Amino acid sequence: MGTDVIERYVTDLGSRLQGSRKQVRELLTETRDSLADATEAHLDRGLTEKEAQKRAVEEFGPVREIANEYQAELAVAYGTRTLIWLAIVLPLMHMAWEYGRMLLIGPWQDFGAMPPAWYLFIAKANDLTSGIASGVALLALILGRFLARRCDAKLLARLGATIAIGAVAAVLLGNLSIILATAHLDVSRLMQSLPMTIASMVTWIVIIRLGLLARRCLSCVTIVA
Amino acid sequence: MKPDALRGHLDALLLATLDGRQLHGYAIIEALQQGSGGALDLPTGTVYPALRRLERAGHVVSDWSTVGGRKRRTYKLTQAGQRALNTERTAWREFTTVIDGVLGGDGKWAQT
Repeated sequence: MGTDVIERYVTDLGSRLQGSRKQVRELLTETRDSLADATEAHLDRGLTEKEAQKRAVEEFGPVREIANEYQAELAVAYGTRTLIWLAIVLPLMHMAWEYGRMLLIGPWQDFGAMPPAWYLFIAKANDLTSGIASGVALLALILGRFLARRCDAKLLARLGATIAIGAVAAVLLGNLSIILATAHLDVSRLMQSLPMTIASMVTWIVIIRLGLLARRCLSCVTIVA
Repeated sequence: MKPDALRGHLDALLLATLDGRQLHGYAIIEALQQGSGGALDLPTGTVYPALRRLERAGHVVSDWSTVGGRKRRTYKLTQAGQRALNTERTAWREFTTVIDGVLGGDGKWAQT
């Protein structure tokens, strides 16, 4: 019967948390262990099992307050994970795509006529976007470690989520711009090579996946009171 | 002691508790309470997010191991954590020296 007190508390806590499943599970396991240890200590002091568990839960803290602190840490952890993905995946994805383009389509000069300056500007901006977004994510990770103890976790999580969303939005905009520009210039170039069309689709799947991660970062932050 | 007064010092207290040993969460809580003679009155649940924060800062590392037949997450200081603890100790000694010089004077200025 006493176990119900701890299980109710852990279940209530778990229902208020959002983040990586593994990290939530680990936090709840640690909580359950801590409450079990505290219960044992109170049993040794002569309390009944139910009283001991009730005391352990009271000492642990109000579930709302504790959930808030746990959630802030989970949000930072989720933001960190997303920023790592952005820092690694974006440059790799861009390099793979560019290498594929050179291999399967060839350099711009091989098109007979060089594309107009505005198109090259968009292409260049798109090339830079991935690098900049990845660099910003990397910088945010380094800064986040430096600020870990100096800055409130909720603020840090908000900053991480904002940077992640900004980075994905920039990459999304860059890719969308180059597709629209290419379609405007010569729509047939979009379907010129089947492997490159597949590569583009994979790129979009990765960007959407990164976008979902970034959106979940924000949702982890917004449930922190 | 009031929880609010402790919150700002929780990181330093945790680093000091882990100095030279590897402990799991509840053992850290017990050591904190024993070290303070039971005066530390902080919701024990706040210790775990603080440990995560210290881990994020690279001051502690955690590892899952079996202790007393139960799988537990144990924590220990890193070299950076040891340096941070030394810095915290120095800052605390300077702080208490300065404050004690003024507050601990038993009103000697009023007598002069």
